[in-house]
Amino acid sequence: MNVKDLLLERKGWIVALLAVGGMLLLAFPLVAQYSVPEYGDDFPLIGSRAAVWIAAQVHLMFAAFVLGVPMFAVIAEAVSIFGKQDRYDRLAKEFTRLLLVAYSATALWGGLLLFLLTTLYPTLWSYLAEIFGASMWVYAGLFFIESATLYTYYYTWERWKRGRAKLFHWGLGILLNVWGTTVMFIANSWLTYMTSPPADVTPDTAPGMVQFWSAFANATWMPINIHRLIANAVFGGAIVAAYAAYRFLKAKTPEERAHYDWMGYVGNLIAIGVFLVLPFAGYWLGREIYEYNQQMGITMMGGFMSWLWIVQAFLIGVLFLAANYYLWIGLGRIPGGERFAPYTKYMLVVLVLGFIVWATPHSMIATRDELAAMGGTHHPFLGVLGLMSAKNTAVNLMILTTFLSFLMYRRANKIPTVSWARTGTISQGTILAVASIVVLFYGVYGYFVPTIVRIGFSVYQVLIVLFTIVAVLVIDVLIARGADTRGPIRWGQMPERSQYALFVIVVTFTWLMGLMGFARSGIRQHWHIWEVMRDTSPHAATPALGYAAQVISVCVILFLLMIAFVFWIGGLIEKPQLVPQETEDTDAAELGPGYEPSLQPATGD
Amino acid sequence: MSSVDLKIVLVTVITIAAYTLVANIIPQVQSDVPEDIAFGADVTSEELVDAGRSLYEGAGGCLACHTEAGGARGPNLLTGHDGEGAIGERCEDRIADLDCKDYLFRALVDPGAYVVEGYPPIMPPTDRTLTTPQVWAIVAYLESLGGEVTVTGDDLAQAEEETAQPAAAPNGEQAAAPAVATDDAEAILQDLCLMCHQMGDRGTEMGPSFDEVGARLTASEIRTKILHPDQLISEGYEPLAGVMPSNFGSQLTATQLESIVQYLSALR
Repeated sequence: MNVKDLLLERKGWIVALLAVGGMLLLAFPLVAQYSVPEYGDDFPLIGSRAAVWIAAQVHLMFAAFVLGVPMFAVIAEAVSIFGKQDRYDRLAKEFTRLLLVAYSATALWGGLLLFLLTTLYPTLWSYLAEIFGASMWVYAGLFFIESATLYTYYYTWERWKRGRAKLFHWGLGILLNVWGTTVMFIANSWLTYMTSPPADVTPDTAPGMVQFWSAFANATWMPINIHRLIANAVFGGAIVAAYAAYRFLKAKTPEERAHYDWMGYVGNLIAIGVFLVLPFAGYWLGREIYEYNQQMGITMMGGFMSWLWIVQAFLIGVLFLAANYYLWIGLGRIPGGERFAPYTKYMLVVLVLGFIVWATPHSMIATRDELAAMGGTHHPFLGVLGLMSAKNTAVNLMILTTFLSFLMYRRANKIPTVSWARTGTISQGTILAVASIVVLFYGVYGYFVPTIVRIGFSVYQVLIVLFTIVAVLVIDVLIARGADTRGPIRWGQMPERSQYALFVIVVTFTWLMGLMGFARSGIRQHWHIWEVMRDTSPHAATPALGYAAQVISVCVILFLLMIAFVFWIGGLIEKPQLVPQETEDTDAAELGPGYEPSLQPATGD
Repeated sequence: MSSVDLKIVLVTVITIAAYTLVANIIPQVQSDVPEDIAFGADVTSEELVDAGRSLYEGAGGCLACHTEAGGARGPNLLTGHDGEGAIGERCEDRIADLDCKDYLFRALVDPGAYVVEGYPPIMPPTDRTLTTPQVWAIVAYLESLGGEVTVTGDDLAQAEEETAQPAAAPNGEQAAAPAVATDDAEAILQDLCLMCHQMGDRGTEMGPSFDEVGARLTASEIRTKILHPDQLISEGYEPLAGVMPSNFGSQLTATQLESIVQYLSALR
C-alpha cells in the first residue's frame, strides 16, 4: 500500500486529528494571551493557577466517573439478582471492567494535583495539611481498600455468580460505593473548608488552633457532598449512555444494536432521572452559601459571576432539549408510541420557552457606562423574566415536561388491565395539572412580595414538583401491574441521529461540571481560604468567564480523549457477551424494558 | 477512522466550541484583587475619588447591589434614591450628629446599624475585605457624587496608624490584642510561661519544667499543650488540670505561637 492509499484510507482519522489539534492550537494561544504576560514563568506557558485548575478539574471528572459508575453497576446487579434478569448482570460487569483502567487515571491526576499544589502553593498546602493531616492519611488508606475491593469485585464476578456467593458479591459492590463515597466526603471537607471556614477562624488563627471537626464539617460540606453524590450518579449514567451509543453506531448485528440501544436507554434514564433532582441539591447549596456569608452569595448570583448562570442556563437548556429529543425519537420503536407523538410539539414549546426565560439576564454587574448604554440593569420588558421567580418557574415546568416525556415512554406499549386504570390516569393528569398551576402561582406571586419571601417560594415549588414525580410514578407502577402489551419494544430500531443526542448530553454534562467547578472555586475570589488566607500570588484575580471557558474546554477535551482511550483499552480486555435470547417477562415499568432481539427482528412499523 | 468516528468527533468538537463561544461573547467581568492604597498626607481629592471609583466599580463589589437603576438589594447611591439625589447630596442629613464623611464610613464598616428602610440587612462590613484606607477612598468617591469631598490625607494617615495597631478581625470587631508585643520566643516565655514553668534556673516550679522538653514531646504535642492544655496533661500533673489558661490561642498571634513551639522543640 502506498502512502497515498494509506492517507485516503485513514482520511477520517486525519480529519478528526486535525480538528482536535486545531482546537488545541487555538486554545493555547488564547490561554497564553491571558497568562504569559501577567503571570510570568512560575509554570510554563499557562501559569500556576491554570496548571492546578486543569489537574484538579480532570481529576474530578475521572473521580466522578469512578464514583458514578459503581452506583450504576451495583443497581444493575441488584436488578439482575432480584429481578432475575441476567442482561443487567452483564451490563454491570461490562462497566466495572472499564473502572479498572479509569481508577489508574483518577489516581494519576490526583497525584499530579498533589505535586502541583505542594510545589506551586506550598504555604496553602502546609496550612491545610496541619488541620486535615489525619484525614489525609485516612483518605490514602481508604483508597487502598477501595482499590482492593474493586479488583475483588471484578475478578470474582464469574466465580461468585450463584446463590449466596452472588449476594456476597453484590455486597462487595455496595462496599465499593461506601468506600468511594467516604473518600469523596473526606476530600470535600478540605475544599469546602477553603470556601466556608468556621466563623471563629481568623487570619491570625494558627492552623494548630483550628478544631478539626468544626473545620471538617463546615457550613458547605454536606450540601457539596449531596450535590456531588447526585451529580456523580448523573455523570455515570451519561457516560454509560455515550459508551452504548458508540457501540450502537459501530454494531454489526441486530443483536448488538438491540443490546446497546437498550444500554443507552438505561444509562440515559438514570442520568436524566437523577438529574431532575440535582437543582434541588443546588438550591440547598446556594442557600447555605447565603446563610454562611451574604457577600459570597451575592458575588455568586449577582456579582461578577452573575453571567455564569446564563451560560449554565444555556447548557441545561441543551440538556433538556437533547434528553427529550432522545425520548421522543424512542417512542418510534415502541408499539403504541405513535399516539403520543402529536403532544411532543407542545412539550417542545414549553421547553423552549423555559429555556428562553431561564437564559434571560437580570441585574448583571456592569459599569456606569454600560448601565447608561443599556438604560438600566435589564431590559425594561424582558428583564422582568430574569427574576428568580420566573426562572424557578421555568425550570420546574421543564422538569415536569421531561418527566411527562418519560411517562409517555413508560405507557406507550401498555394496555392497563386494573379496574381503576382510568381513574388512576385521570388522577395522574390532575396531579400534574395542579402542580403546574401551583408552580405558576408562586412564580407570579413572587413578584408581589419582598425578596426574602420570594426565595422561600422556590422551596414550595420544589416540594410540589418532587411530590408530583413520586406520586405520579407510584400510580403508574401500580397501573402497569398485569398490564397487557401492544407489543415488545423493538430494541435496536432507533435512528442513528438519536445516538448523537447522547453524545451531546455527555459532553454537556462534562462541560457543566467544569463550569460549576469554576463557580465553586471562583466565589472565593482572591482568597485561598475565605477571609483567612489571601492568595498573594500574581494569579489572585479571578478570571472572566471567557478565559474560564477556554480552560474548561481544555479539561473536557483532555478528559474525553482519555475516557475514549479507557473505553478502547477496556474493550480489548474482554468482549461483552450478548444475550442470545431473553425469556423472562420483562417490564418497561422497571429500570429497563424487555430485550428480545432474536425474538423480535427489526420489522419496522 | 470511519464516518461514524468522524461524526462523533465533530459533534463533540462543535458542542464544546459552542459553549466556549457563548462564554466568550457575553460581557467579560474579572474579579480583581483590591489594590493597596498608599497615599501620603498630601493626597488630593481627585486621587482619592479615582481610587474609590475604581474600588466601587471593581474589586469592592459595590455595584452588585448599589446600581444606578436601584433594585431589591440596595438603594441607588449613584444618581438618587426616592427623589433625594445622589448619596453625596443626602449623606449629610442621613443621621443627626453625624457629618457626611463619618456617616458614610460608619455605614460601610457597620452597615447593619444604618440599613435604609425597605431593604434587607444583607450588606457585609466592608472592612472584612478592604483595608481602612480603601474604605476611606470609597467614602471620598461617594461624597463626590453630588457633594463635597471632605476626606483628607489626615484620615488616611490615621488609618495607617490604626493599621499598625492590632489588626481588625474579619468579623469587623477589633481583634484581641496579643498578650505580648514581640515574636521573640524567649521574651514571650519570660513574660507568660515562666510564671508557672521552669527553664534552667529561671521561672517557677509549678508546672512541668521546660528543660529538655523537646526530647519528651513532639512539636505537635507542645502546640496542643499550649492551645488545649487539658487535652494532654503531663504525668504527675493531673491534680493541676484546669489551672493552665486555655486562652493562649486567642492571646498569641500565629507567629508567636510557632516561635514558642520551635524554641521549645529545640530544647533537648
